Amino acid sequence: MGKYILKRLGYMVIVFGVVSLLMYSLYNLIPTDPARAQLEPMKSTLKPAEYEQMYQELRSQMGLDAPLLVRYARWMGIVKDVDGTYSGLLQGEFGYSSFFKKDVVQVIVEPMKNTIFINIFSTILALAITIPLGIYCAVHKKSKFDSAVQVVTILGYSIPTYIIALIFIFFFCVVWQIFPIMGTKTAGMVYENGWQEFTDKLYHIALPVIVMTFGSLGGMTRYVRAAMIDSLGMDYIRTARAKGVKERIVIYSHAWRNALLPVITSIIGWFLSIFSGSVVIENTFSLNGMGKLYWQGLNNFDFELVLAIQMFYTVVSLIGMLIMDLSYGLVDPRVRVDK
Amino acid sequence: MSNENKKKGFFLTRWFKRWFGPRQEMSALEEEQLQSPIRTIIKNFTGKKLSMFGLIGFLAVFLLVLIAPNYLEMDLGYQDSTLSNIPPTMNMMKVPSELKGNVKKISPGTTFAIGVDNDGEVYSWGYTNVAGGEMAHIPEEVQNAHIVDIAAGYDHAVALDDQGELYVWGNTRLQQDMFSPEMRQAMMKGGDAWNIVQLEASNQFSAVVTADGNLYLWGNGNMADIKVRKSYQGRIKKVALTGFAYVVLLDDGTVAYAGYKDKDSVLAKLPAALEGKKVVDIAATSQNAAAVTEDGQVVVWGNTTKGEKDVPELSSKPIDIYGGRYHYTVLCENGDVFAWGDNTHGQSEIPASVNAGGDIVNVYAGFFQNYAITSTGDIKTWGLRGYLCGTDDLGRDILTRIVHGGLVTMTVGALAVLISTVIGIVLGGLAGYFGGAIDMVVMRIAEVVGGLPFIPFAMILSAVLGSRVDTTQRMYIIMVVLGVLSWPSICRLVRAQILAEREKEFVTAAKAMGVKEGVIVFKHILPNVISILLVSMTLDFATCMLTESTLSYLGFGIPLPTPTWGNMLTGANNSIIIQQYWWRWVFPAAICGFCTICINLIGDGLRDAIDPKSAER
Repeated sequence: MGKYILKRLGYMVIVFGVVSLLMYSLYNLIPTDPARAQLEPMKSTLKPAEYEQMYQELRSQMGLDAPLLVRYARWMGIVKDVDGTYSGLLQGEFGYSSFFKKDVVQVIVEPMKNTIFINIFSTILALAITIPLGIYCAVHKKSKFDSAVQVVTILGYSIPTYIIALIFIFFFCVVWQIFPIMGTKTAGMVYENGWQEFTDKLYHIALPVIVMTFGSLGGMTRYVRAAMIDSLGMDYIRTARAKGVKERIVIYSHAWRNALLPVITSIIGWFLSIFSGSVVIENTFSLNGMGKLYWQGLNNFDFELVLAIQMFYTVVSLIGMLIMDLSYGLVDPRVRVDK
Repeated sequence: MSNENKKKGFFLTRWFKRWFGPRQEMSALEEEQLQSPIRTIIKNFTGKKLSMFGLIGFLAVFLLVLIAPNYLEMDLGYQDSTLSNIPPTMNMMKVPSELKGNVKKISPGTTFAIGVDNDGEVYSWGYTNVAGGEMAHIPEEVQNAHIVDIAAGYDHAVALDDQGELYVWGNTRLQQDMFSPEMRQAMMKGGDAWNIVQLEASNQFSAVVTADGNLYLWGNGNMADIKVRKSYQGRIKKVALTGFAYVVLLDDGTVAYAGYKDKDSVLAKLPAALEGKKVVDIAATSQNAAAVTEDGQVVVWGNTTKGEKDVPELSSKPIDIYGGRYHYTVLCENGDVFAWGDNTHGQSEIPASVNAGGDIVNVYAGFFQNYAITSTGDIKTWGLRGYLCGTDDLGRDILTRIVHGGLVTMTVGALAVLISTVIGIVLGGLAGYFGGAIDMVVMRIAEVVGGLPFIPFAMILSAVLGSRVDTTQRMYIIMVVLGVLSWPSICRLVRAQILAEREKEFVTAAKAMGVKEGVIVFKHILPNVISILLVSMTLDFATCMLTESTLSYLGFGIPLPTPTWGNMLTGANNSIIIQQYWWRWVFPAAICGFCTICINLIGDGLRDAIDPKSAER
């Protein structure tokens, strides 16, 4: 097991290297010149020759003249930067956001908290609804309720999230006026205690969470249902029933545990997709989250920030894949990952 | 299936029966004998009502976006502030029945019109809630007075009663109801000094011409030239208002620009064709003016962008000319009516019935509408009837944008699926058949690509690659990005299928016969997995359409003004649009959702039809 994890970790490092190199060179396709941008305000006060000399100096100072691979290695923190120190991703230096005029790490903290806060709620909520619903539908296959759920879930995964968001805003914010439309806190509100702050935040993220949950209901319910039907059709279920095992135990112990394997795969894949899915939700609801930050960064050509977030996404997805493979072994003893 | 069962009835009814009617029960043997696998699949598919609903729904949308763009032409640069945010209506020219046969005057405004009958009663119709003014709220004193003349402007209306009193309603926030001091003096004087012969209204300003040849203008003078040079006063016979200026017809039959902004106005440069000619009538559109000379010639000058200068061949001498926002309408001596200029809303396309009788006595044209009164009092109308799905913030027809946008969205989706399928088949085929190192490498690549968060990555690619290219190239880039990012699932599917197929006897046989390996993969094995591929292509088509529209919604897909179902919804996430301008998001969202639902229904149905095991689920 330990050897397998080590092997996977080594593989992850390689993939991360390849992806980061790809992304880095992708960004270098963009015709920007930070040295010129920094000198531009002084251009009118300098003579052309002076300007040119300063420009060249600044370029070498910023290390812009080095080949792509060297610059990449500096950015990663594998080789020494121009100033002779190691300052790259590996040292925790994620760069400087030109849009927010702050270090990327500082920019990311608050949105990251918000995103995780929202995603935890919506994930728990979605799992709490889809798994029982999927099991129920599988057990009562072809009943009226099941058919209705089937139709609703097709709607759920066919309609894009932003349209679901618009419809929900229309009903919850405009017609019934239950929830606020955007933001993460009541404007100008001074909190008396932490609990009040927490509930206010909950109140504001309620609608995004509902939309996110609703958007992911469709695919997940169908997945759980299909896996359950498959495992309910197995011979051991018939045997268990023939032995007179209680139906509840047949369903939850015999069938569900065997249906869990495919479900785990999609739960983790879907957990990751929530990070990217939140770009849409956070934009629609103007939530200060990672997705919104990413969108802002891209729109304002703040590429160091975008690159850092992209690396975060990549790491999350790589770790997710590792956890997925490892959890196979935990859930299903038949799968031996270290083989 | 017996012979007499075949070819009974019209083919459509037969199809309909086959799809929706009760299914014929056949014994297992009979079914086995009669049906090839393809026929079984078709039968299974057509037997399910939900999948057929999906197929018919999708075909309907598909045909709509394929055929309708030919009829609903779209000008990408088109915008018209006077037509922004109009809700769905088709009643803009529905004249109230009380007015029929009793018309004194009709004055069309932007999306509404007002009319007055011979009894002095005022009516309004169309979409009357214009730019903060409700035109349908006719003030009480207007209702009580005996109105003799009316004029409708961009967002206000003016009425004149038989006592010489002027009433203004609608939007009055920009001084539309502030009469100038000279006017007040003239009103006090009375008599010929306030005997109004012409009443006109335009873009937030209005004008009256009195019997003694004086012109008075009032209203919003911030943009418009509403001052009159003293030298012209007392000689003015008629005025024609453009959007921001006016021209006058003097009593000696010459035309003049009487305002103060004559230095930089193209309207002030009178055309040579008018020199030495006597003008009988003038009219103006929003940008230019036209004059009819005594010898029946129509001369247009000013900025002409919509073909206002292309005067058609007239059948006889024109006597009256009327100007809309971008078109002119003339009434000739013999009762024929001609119109030219912009025809976006059909305002210069005269219906055949108008010129058939030759008995048109009066024409009222303005903005986008035309009303012709026959000698029997009948009202014939042509021009802007309304919008089936409303308009957006730039005054563009939502329906037109939906059908054009659908074409873009579907093309992008289809080509992206094609690209991803080709990559998936080739790589999956290679990995599955050859295995070993190739398999290892391909599957690792697939894992990396599949593991990338889709939307953020597509956003980056689109932002990086799309920043230097035009719209068409950007469209191709989006297709390629979607295709290149979504192949891993197809690759995995093909690989798994081929792994199962390659051990079968027919492959061994082919190998024994010395068939090349490439041929075995793509000609012998692939046809066996094509049906499953079809299912995944259908489902991927829906996904690609969704992704494209999501990207466009976020602003990283196809850029405006090219419409797609996604970017039509950009900016719709605020409460004002969601509540007040509901048609701007409901229609694109509805058709986009409906289309993807239909495609998913087809895909699900196909999967059930192909794989009977999955149908049991």
